[in-house]
Amino acid sequence: MSVLEMRGGGVVLGGRPIWRDADFRLEPGTITAVLGPNGSGKSTLLKVILGLLPLDAGSLRVFGEAPQRGSRAVGYMAQSRAADAMSAMTGRDYVGLGFDGPRFGWGRDRAKHDVVREALALTGSTSFADQALASLSGGQRQRIALAHATVFRPGLLLLDEPLAALDLAAQAEIVDLINLVCDTTGAAVVVVAHDLNPLASIVDQVLWIARHQVRSGSVDEVVNEKTLSDLYGHPIEIVITSHGRRVIVGLEEEFAHPHPHGHDHSHDHSHDHDDEVAHTHLDEVYEEETR
Amino acid sequence: MSLSELLSTSFVQHAFYAVTAVALAAGAVGYFVVIRRQAFAAHAIGHVGFAGAAGAVWLGFSPIVGLLVFCLGAGLLIGVGGATLDESDAVVGVTLTAALGLGVLFISLYSGYANATYSILFGQILGVTWGDVGLVTLLSAAVLVVLSFVYRPLLFVSVDAQAAQARGLSPRAMSMLFMTLLAVTTVVAIQIVGVLLVFSLLVAPAAAAEVMTSRPLAALGLSMGLALFSAWVGLLLGVWVGGPVSFWITALAAVSYLVARLLGVAVTRQSHRSHA
Repeated sequence: MSVLEMRGGGVVLGGRPIWRDADFRLEPGTITAVLGPNGSGKSTLLKVILGLLPLDAGSLRVFGEAPQRGSRAVGYMAQSRAADAMSAMTGRDYVGLGFDGPRFGWGRDRAKHDVVREALALTGSTSFADQALASLSGGQRQRIALAHATVFRPGLLLLDEPLAALDLAAQAEIVDLINLVCDTTGAAVVVVAHDLNPLASIVDQVLWIARHQVRSGSVDEVVNEKTLSDLYGHPIEIVITSHGRRVIVGLEEEFAHPHPHGHDHSHDHSHDHDDEVAHTHLDEVYEEETR
Repeated sequence: MSLSELLSTSFVQHAFYAVTAVALAAGAVGYFVVIRRQAFAAHAIGHVGFAGAAGAVWLGFSPIVGLLVFCLGAGLLIGVGGATLDESDAVVGVTLTAALGLGVLFISLYSGYANATYSILFGQILGVTWGDVGLVTLLSAAVLVVLSFVYRPLLFVSVDAQAAQARGLSPRAMSMLFMTLLAVTTVVAIQIVGVLLVFSLLVAPAAAAEVMTSRPLAALGLSMGLALFSAWVGLLLGVWVGGPVSFWITALAAVSYLVARLLGVAVTRQSHRSHA
């Protein structure tokens, strides 16, 4: 049975359609990358899966049921956790909050100690678990955050931009760790990212969200010139470097010529976002090429 | 009068029980004020309380009625409007200035003796009655009981609101609950140290504790301990050496923070050196 099944899903926020006609499944033990411009609705997708936002169209089944807010079977790692607020605790404390943080009352659960220890061991965080979070490196902090999200060994693990703000070495480390956690726990893992390349070696499926549409399939099925050109509505070129990295050219088109392609003007607001998006990707392409 | 005679007088004993209750509640609530980075909100609620008390005096009620109404109102307003910690600054600022304006109006309308206003601003530790002690103890105990009941979820929401929300907690509801606790604590503390100095018991001990340990429960206990230390020793120095008790309490709280920071810097340097 699929861990998650989305059929014809669509979300409207404040009268603005975010995306529609989303069709995909998540299988146990697989890793799915969610890609697309900023503001295209990647985090919205996670919120829908978490049961924090309702679908406006279509259906979503998580473990065969409607999404349940606060479910232990779904692990979630948020995008930006303010490091300064977290300076008040150690990694072990933070992982402990993943175990009993939502629970009110005075009682203590005896299982906590062992469960937290196992989560720390799974993510290789034991050696620095008793240091203040603020004193850890970015990669170490992501390991702790992953331990927090996996404390109940969830069957579905949602990671929002786990590679953001990490240097290349730490990125590679966390990518390996995500793969290990997926293999060990058999969870369906969803990774929201803005660059496929660091993840390409471990990804089984890609969800690409752009212009209110969601394309899903294997890396080759989605990240090709035809599918992306179709998705963005103008020619996209993909250059594969000698290191096997994909450099996607043409996402900046919108930025250079905001209105050349006969946009659907019923979604006028989206222009701002598309522009912003193209800008981001322009930077990205530049970065890729100068590496 | 000798020290032992001073300490056995009833007004000093009342003060002793009152500051004990206030310091414990303020030290505990203050820990969350500090980790939630809501010192500005704590500051504002105290000053809003001043407007409430001034209004109550003008209308002929007991100041504590006005304090409770205004502090709880402001707490809930800030809790609702500034649930995500990023948006709270503007909400707090507007609430604060609006209330201060009202306070100025109430004082100008009230033509009576300004002593009531003065004691709201600076507290009246040595004028505490048995009735005050009872009320302060009751409210402080209530705050501590509720706080211990919500401790884990409040900590979770405070350090990682998004993850906490995904796990079924409501950051907005928790924010309102916490602001209510903060408001009650402020009302209680204002009786003792006054509007201007509430801050010293709410923020300085907790800030010092946060520097000294990174274990939440230890920091919470340390914060309560430092608040208690400042309150007890401050009271002792006030009645023995002289000078306003509020001054001594504030000075001790500030010094404990300063010492913690200096020790913290020294420890950090040490560990950097040993790592290098």
